[in-house]
Amino acid sequence: MQKNKRKRTIHPASLWTLPSAGLLLSLTIAPLVMLLLFSFMNRNLFAGQPWPGWTLGNFTRMFQAEAFWSLLWKSLGIGLLVTAICIVAAYPAAWAIAKVVRPRFRGTLMMVVILPFFTSQLLLIYAMMNLIQTGGIVMTALESLGIHGNSILYTNTATVLVLVYEYVPYMILCLYSSMEGIGDNLVHASHILGANRAKTFINVVFPMSVPGLLSGILLVFVPVVGTFVEPNLVGGSNGMMVGSMINTQYKDNLNMGYGAVLSCTLLIVLCVIMAIISYGARRAQRKIGGDV
Amino acid sequence: MSKGFNRFILVCLWIVLAFMYIPIVAIIGMSFNGTAYGMFPYVFTTRWYTTLFTTSNLPAACWLSLKFSFLVALAALVIGTLTSYGLQYYSPRLAKKFNSIMQLPIIIPWLVTSISILLLATFVGMGRSYLTMFLGNLIVVLPYVVLLVNARFMEMDRTPESAARLLGASPARVFWDVTLPGILPGVMAGGIMALIVCFNNFVLQYYLAPVGVNTLPMTVFTRIRSGYQADLNALSAIIVLVAVVVVIIFSRLGYSAGSLFGMSSGSKPKKGE
Repeated sequence: MQKNKRKRTIHPASLWTLPSAGLLLSLTIAPLVMLLLFSFMNRNLFAGQPWPGWTLGNFTRMFQAEAFWSLLWKSLGIGLLVTAICIVAAYPAAWAIAKVVRPRFRGTLMMVVILPFFTSQLLLIYAMMNLIQTGGIVMTALESLGIHGNSILYTNTATVLVLVYEYVPYMILCLYSSMEGIGDNLVHASHILGANRAKTFINVVFPMSVPGLLSGILLVFVPVVGTFVEPNLVGGSNGMMVGSMINTQYKDNLNMGYGAVLSCTLLIVLCVIMAIISYGARRAQRKIGGDV
Repeated sequence: MSKGFNRFILVCLWIVLAFMYIPIVAIIGMSFNGTAYGMFPYVFTTRWYTTLFTTSNLPAACWLSLKFSFLVALAALVIGTLTSYGLQYYSPRLAKKFNSIMQLPIIIPWLVTSISILLLATFVGMGRSYLTMFLGNLIVVLPYVVLLVNARFMEMDRTPESAARLLGASPARVFWDVTLPGILPGVMAGGIMALIVCFNNFVLQYYLAPVGVNTLPMTVFTRIRSGYQADLNALSAIIVLVAVVVVIIFSRLGYSAGSLFGMSSGSKPKKGE
């Protein structure tokens, strides 16, 4: 084996990956380098104008901007909250589809779960807005029950609600994928050996669903923290998240350098969190692999 | 053994499904409602569909988005399929590395991707243009194609290819006549997935589209900000219908929900080998 490995040469067919390697390099890696480069520019870059100079001002400005840090914390908090709600909602749902429902319905039900993905993000937001707006179904129903109040639309609560609505299918999908692999016999065995449902869940089901759970967290938490669309549309005047602030730097203020610094920081914070999560995933997998 | 528990779990499932579908069903209901603002009184009408196809600015934007997404999907399809094919000749360790780099455009928040590509376009003097928008969307949808075709390769029997080689077929002929038919369901699924992700990708188009050009997601975004939109309800209903068709196509192609997002399990095709 060792010898074969040494003699390995590049198969000509593997060169077919070159176009997308080129695309990745020029459209993913190079832009990230640009993000770093623009962070040090003291002016916007425009065609036909002289090259801007270099500065550390964007960084000092960021470290002094309390608004940014409080929005970053708020966004991380919303990300945490949305992810937690998604987990709580998705666990029973995924378990029901993976183990309780009759097997022939499983595929169909999962397709039903991911159907919203194929409509668009904006239409989902719009559908939820319609439902909760003043004069919408929910408010009308509440009023007929004698409950009067203001619609939650254009508040942070609405942002959280819409985000949960958009991302819960991803969490169900991830959890379902890892629960599908848990053998019925294993659960039965646990029951027969005298474990109650809670114990079975903690000792058998939960550990085996950890990889799915972690990839679900990644798939929900990261986009939620970095979003600006939902807060912009349903969050109202106090709904800003860190994404909205970054968006403002490009859409309203046109401040490329400052926006780049903020994006960089957001990306780094997310990278650190993702690294911790994937470290957890690997450890969890190794632990389960070791036990079985 | 645990009837009551199972019932509880099923109730939870139905609650979640209801949460997911009530807004969608409501919007379909609203699209046939004559009362323009709010829900009641409910008067059945198809007026909004007429509005949608006559005076609304949505069909034009929709058509632009369709043409654009089709081009992006086509490019992603060709490049992604070749990439996946080439990856089969990598060592498993290197292929895994390549695949995880390939996931970057999906993992990085779209806002950051959009901004960084906009900066690069500014840097090389291209600015916002159709080409910028095309490239930006291409890199975001490419991973889906590679993922889906990879899954297909893993399930495929590769011996017919060797047989064809031994019988003297050229590599190109083997690819065209043996490999491609085998991975075709994956290629098709990848193409549809690319089309849909691109069609719906608001953030990238918002940042990279040429000034003054409005794709469907951009138009919808602007319209939503100004409140209730009767013709948008009609369009939503149509898009939901299309989504149902797409989901049915995917299950016919032998894709389970999990395999669409590269989850390892649940990617067994229904069709026999």
